[in-house]
Amino acid sequence: MSRSWLLCGMKPLQGSTHFSLGNQKVEKRMGCQQSLQSSEVLKVRTIYINDPLKNTFCTNSISTTKYSKWSFLPRYLYLQFSKAANAFFLFITILQQIPGVSPIGQYTTLLPLLVILAISGIKEVVEDYKRYMADKVVNSKTTSVFRQNSWHVIKWHEVNVGDIVKTLNEEFLPADMILISSSEPQSMCYVATANLDGETNLKIRQASLEVAGIIKEGQLVNLDGKIECEEPDRQFNNFVGTLYLRGKSPISVGPDQMLLRGTQLKNTQWIIGVVIYTGFETKLMQNSVKSPLKRSQVEKVTNMQILILLLLLFVISAVSCVGATIWNKMYLENIWYMGISGITPHNHVFDILVFIILYHNLVPISLLLTLETVKFIQAQFINWDEDMHYEQNDLYAMARTSNLNEELGQVKYLFSDKTGTLTCNTMAFKKCTIAGIIYGNHSDNTDDGNENLSRASFCEFNDPKLLENFEDGHPSSEYIKEFLTLLCVCHTVIPERCGNDILYQASSPDEAALVKGAKKLGFVFTTRTPYSVTIEVMTETHTFEILNILEFSSNRKRMSIIVRTPAGHLRLYCKGADTVIYERLSKDSLFVEDTLKHLEIFATEGLRTLCIAYTDLTETEYQDWLQEYKKASAVSQNRIQRLEECYEIIEKEFLLLGATAIEDRLQANVPETISTLLKANIKIWVLTGDKQETAVNIAFSCKLISSTTPRIYLNADSFEAAQQTINHNCGDLGNLLGKENDLALIIDGETLKYALRFEIQKKFLDLALSCRAVLCCRLSPLQKAEIVDLVKKHEEAITLAVGDGANDVGMIRMAHVGVGISGNEGMQATNNSDYSIAQFRYLEKLLLVHGTWNYFRVTKCILYSFYKNVVLYIIGLWFSFVNGFSGQIIFEHWCISLYNVIFTSLPPLTLGIFEKCCSQKSLLEYPQLYTVFQTGEMFNTKVFWIQCINALIHSFILFWFPTKMLEHDMILRHGYTTDYLFLGNFIYSYVVVTVCLKAGLETTSWNRINMVLSCPHFWMGFLLVPTTCLIQNFFWKLIKNTYKRGLLEEIQELESRKDSILEHSEIFEKRMTAASLAVSFSTQPCEIFFRDDSVDLSAPHGYAFSQTEGAVVTQEELVRAYDTAKMENSRISKRSSDFSEIF
Amino acid sequence: PGGTTKTRRPDNTAFKQQRLPAWQPFLTAGTVLPTFFIIGLIFIPIGIGIFVTSNNIREIEIDYTGIEPSSPCNKCLSPVETPCICTINFTLEKSFEGNVFMYYGLSNFYQNHRRYVKSRDDSQLNGDRSALLNPSKECEPYRRNEDKPIAPCGAIANSMFNDTLELFLVANESDPTLMLIPLKRRGIAWWTDKNVKFRNPPGTESLKERFKDTTHPVNWLKPVYELDPEDEDNNGFINEDFIVWMRTAALPTFRKLYRLIERKNDLHPTLPAGRYYLNITYNYPVHSFDGRKRMILSTVSWMGGKNPFLGIAYITIGSISFLLGVVLLVINHKYRNSSNTADITI
Repeated sequence: MSRSWLLCGMKPLQGSTHFSLGNQKVEKRMGCQQSLQSSEVLKVRTIYINDPLKNTFCTNSISTTKYSKWSFLPRYLYLQFSKAANAFFLFITILQQIPGVSPIGQYTTLLPLLVILAISGIKEVVEDYKRYMADKVVNSKTTSVFRQNSWHVIKWHEVNVGDIVKTLNEEFLPADMILISSSEPQSMCYVATANLDGETNLKIRQASLEVAGIIKEGQLVNLDGKIECEEPDRQFNNFVGTLYLRGKSPISVGPDQMLLRGTQLKNTQWIIGVVIYTGFETKLMQNSVKSPLKRSQVEKVTNMQILILLLLLFVISAVSCVGATIWNKMYLENIWYMGISGITPHNHVFDILVFIILYHNLVPISLLLTLETVKFIQAQFINWDEDMHYEQNDLYAMARTSNLNEELGQVKYLFSDKTGTLTCNTMAFKKCTIAGIIYGNHSDNTDDGNENLSRASFCEFNDPKLLENFEDGHPSSEYIKEFLTLLCVCHTVIPERCGNDILYQASSPDEAALVKGAKKLGFVFTTRTPYSVTIEVMTETHTFEILNILEFSSNRKRMSIIVRTPAGHLRLYCKGADTVIYERLSKDSLFVEDTLKHLEIFATEGLRTLCIAYTDLTETEYQDWLQEYKKASAVSQNRIQRLEECYEIIEKEFLLLGATAIEDRLQANVPETISTLLKANIKIWVLTGDKQETAVNIAFSCKLISSTTPRIYLNADSFEAAQQTINHNCGDLGNLLGKENDLALIIDGETLKYALRFEIQKKFLDLALSCRAVLCCRLSPLQKAEIVDLVKKHEEAITLAVGDGANDVGMIRMAHVGVGISGNEGMQATNNSDYSIAQFRYLEKLLLVHGTWNYFRVTKCILYSFYKNVVLYIIGLWFSFVNGFSGQIIFEHWCISLYNVIFTSLPPLTLGIFEKCCSQKSLLEYPQLYTVFQTGEMFNTKVFWIQCINALIHSFILFWFPTKMLEHDMILRHGYTTDYLFLGNFIYSYVVVTVCLKAGLETTSWNRINMVLSCPHFWMGFLLVPTTCLIQNFFWKLIKNTYKRGLLEEIQELESRKDSILEHSEIFEKRMTAASLAVSFSTQPCEIFFRDDSVDLSAPHGYAFSQTEGAVVTQEELVRAYDTAKMENSRISKRSSDFSEIF
Repeated sequence: PGGTTKTRRPDNTAFKQQRLPAWQPFLTAGTVLPTFFIIGLIFIPIGIGIFVTSNNIREIEIDYTGIEPSSPCNKCLSPVETPCICTINFTLEKSFEGNVFMYYGLSNFYQNHRRYVKSRDDSQLNGDRSALLNPSKECEPYRRNEDKPIAPCGAIANSMFNDTLELFLVANESDPTLMLIPLKRRGIAWWTDKNVKFRNPPGTESLKERFKDTTHPVNWLKPVYELDPEDEDNNGFINEDFIVWMRTAALPTFRKLYRLIERKNDLHPTLPAGRYYLNITYNYPVHSFDGRKRMILSTVSWMGGKNPFLGIAYITIGSISFLLGVVLLVINHKYRNSSNTADITI
């Protein structure tokens, strides 16, 4: 898929709808939305299966282009002239066409305006053509469709509603379909929905068994019937329809049978579905709306300044008009030579129009184009940057918009997603403790640096001591065996044999890591049948009969499995959080203290820990429990609760074996990057949909918080409780509130819902802003956006959100700058972002180097553009004082129109492209430099006014010096007298020279009229006038550099002194070692006395475990459904027979 | 899946990686103090040179408006007296050598007023036949007179300066005989104006024929083809007095070249010191708008006429620069130790 179909068209606050299937909280939210919608009359569409001619719906081709051939011109012009500046110049152009009004000719504004429109027009056409080509690629993908009794391969855009489509493994679905059959048992299939919701675990879809049965028996040719379903909408998880097959009772279909366009078929040989929505009516396209137009702070300030200039323009025009009136009163009647007597005097409106036209160029016409060009090239610099090139995926950073380049230089708050952004989203079994002995503790060098190696092997556990102990008959040998057996047996992973290797399919990445870890240690999980698992230990095969699966849930924080061992014993294996396991340990359990210590070590390193325990069951005990269990499973109401209560009965008297530590791999250099960003005074908030434990773990491992940092937990289940906790903590902070403290605030989504209520949100924000690190967990995408919005509203600072999944789309779009991590499965974040980078660590260069430079360049460029226009066109005002406010212009007409387009077009461009405040090296070496720009003091109304006044002084000098020089009109050797244009050319040349010199550049092509050049006065003044203008600027700069220096000036001086230029990589290495030595924040102990029990000062717990909950198919059903021993054969036969048996 | 994964390997050039060598001058008092002194040292001598050159230029200015009752031209202020001839005498203290230029100067005359400036038809002046008979609308209200097109049309042409100035040298104090100084009418206009911008209507017939069907500007007494009775080739649109007038001045006080007094030979000064009579045929009314009329005699140097401004400006700027240099030197000396780079922490 290629184009930017963007999720959730509504305003982000109203509802991001792409939630995971598993997230119940979110679904509640959605429920209320649905009820809102159901109040409208539901329209029903009827689809005739296998009879495309009867169905008249839109085609499956999509188009994301902005213009069509015919609409281009009107639409383009409309867009251009809806920009205030362009509209203003159009207005001026029209005014100029009124005869007699324009003092500067009829086409002086039209010409540059046309040039500018033409250039941006070409740009638009090129961009739109790219979109068109991308659409074309999508529309001409192929798929198989059943028509006229056979399969045809057709292009996507030819797919119609009602078609029967077959999709093979790894293929993308061409349209929204109802699943009617699949290659997998029970008509299941797996789809990757990463494109839609960013979730990396596969979703299970299952056809209604009745339908699947029919298809299997019958022939597709005979498939006849219709589907009634609702009109297309944008809710991903919402679908109601009924399938009427001829001669059968109606079958209801829902979201579980729905396959959406944009998803990818996984682990399923083939599926067959009936198309229900096509093209723009697919849920995917329904959700595609344009990104909100983001405008940078600088742009807003610039617009403000343009407005001020407009105001200035009107003021000057009014002043001139008054001047004209007075002058006319005093002189005009007596001036016989003007021939006025015959003409009725002009009215004031006419006069003011004349002056507006005269001075209208105060607003730089080329500014927009210059800025656009400059920003485009700046964006290219980002795209080209080799330092942000991720070799592994061959991904470069990409600036998807160039509007926000300078915003990157002012970021104050960084909101980061966790999964896929800070972490790689790969789990690795890193360490363990068995029987009180810690394994895997020796440091391995593959950790940083050589990332390629470590990525290739997921399992990094390579402590030979473990196997030695196991094989050499160490006292703990039995425990080791039991420990590893447990890892192999107690899980829901499904093995898939692939040649000699075994691949594991798991919805829980933790389990996959553990099973892989065990495999590497010689405990290989090979086969799963509905009621048994087989493992291979040292070439011996053991088969465990699986009796019961006591499912994982985040409440229980554990998962158990009851097996009959090969020896025939009944045994319960359990893995779970240390807290819940320790509660249930039997008195006889050993190694309790040691393991606890080890757990603490793991937790401090940010590893995810699970305690491993088992207990032996007696037959009677088990049979009794089984009765209970059967009763509980038969209950229809509150079954899950009853089951959990039932599990509780048997999960007791555990014997502790040890604990595992899984590393949720951080992306390369994340801790270093975070430390640099913190130094640059950027506040980092982690917003994640993941569990609190995981978030805290990651905060530890990326050194956002240390083990000594007090952690404030806000976990409340009611508004009052939340309010009370927040108030207490605010009270405890006292004076420190509002300052940055070495504290961490951890809040979950439920509490955040209360904290964001209007009454306490300010207080909550105050508390959050007083903490060094803020972790928000269990957030829905909507809440992520809400937090960003809260900070954006209350703090006048630039926010940046970075994320990789579709659940980050909300915050990416809400923040001032949205950065997407590209290269992962989902494209949603990237497609909604303003900038995409391949790795979190590239943020450093993006912000500190590109951001700073871009900000510096853009502001310089803007100020300079204002300066040069004010300098030239204010001269018209000075001239008015000597020509009776008549609106006469002193320059030749073409000089005026070409001033911006040719004579002074280069300096702003070069300023915008090449200007550097300091070298990259310094910017990276001293992240503190970033703070200079963060505050926006380089560019505000004050700076603007200073520049304007400076320009005013310059224009004064530039007008009056030459005027005095030419006072007597006798400056030529032959005694010839001159005219006003002669003086105009003088002034004009000086202006161009001064303005170019002001830009600190070589003269641009400004050569003019030989007569002027042959005049010695010209050359004498040539030296004098610009020097006079610039000497004051020069002096000011000097004073500032020498006596009022800030950090920036210091660095600049340092730089100009140093001659050795270090390459970026060297600096990076140098700093990395430095960063690993020094802790990224001050380690001074926190001296605040916290009374509230929400504050946790103790050492951290490391428990974290992720598993899909509440899915269509429960964990147990899933496990029971597979028989990998059989599947091998059937798969092969299916492949060879090419699905023919079903038709 | 999708567009971003395509390989795009940019060239690893210095430009694209933004590693172009750059020179970053950092201006501090220590490093650029000399610049101020250098500017001062260069500017002051230049200024003095220009000032001296300017002062060596001879120039005399005679106001003959006749505002003061004692002035011989006072009588001409009343419109009744036509034609009015008045004579002003003046003395040259020092002789004028080399070519001498005679200017007339007007004050408070807004040649740069927008309505005035645009009131002309350049294509008519360039000899375009259709424009001759149908002048541009810009010329209103001096476009047509009595149903005939005005040539040259417009307010500028209409208000052409029409005083006649004659210069007599009183050769000898005792001898009242006056010696007429020969004034050259040609060579006072820019070459490009005379040969490119201004052309008479094409044709081989006489000028009068070529200007047939047109009428002279309202305020003129004679048609354009009779502007110079002495020189046939100096008539029509290429009349040099006319061309000079048509170059509208930038300021309300301006000078225009009137006549040339050519150098005779190296032995005799062009205008020896002594008494002169300026004979004025007073036609041009400036009194109504408080204008002034002047006659200026001036020699020129390599840099044109007399104007002390440039020299003074150079000297002033040079001095300021020098002064700033001194101030900076003092400040720098005083605060040298206060600036260091200690506050940077890595």
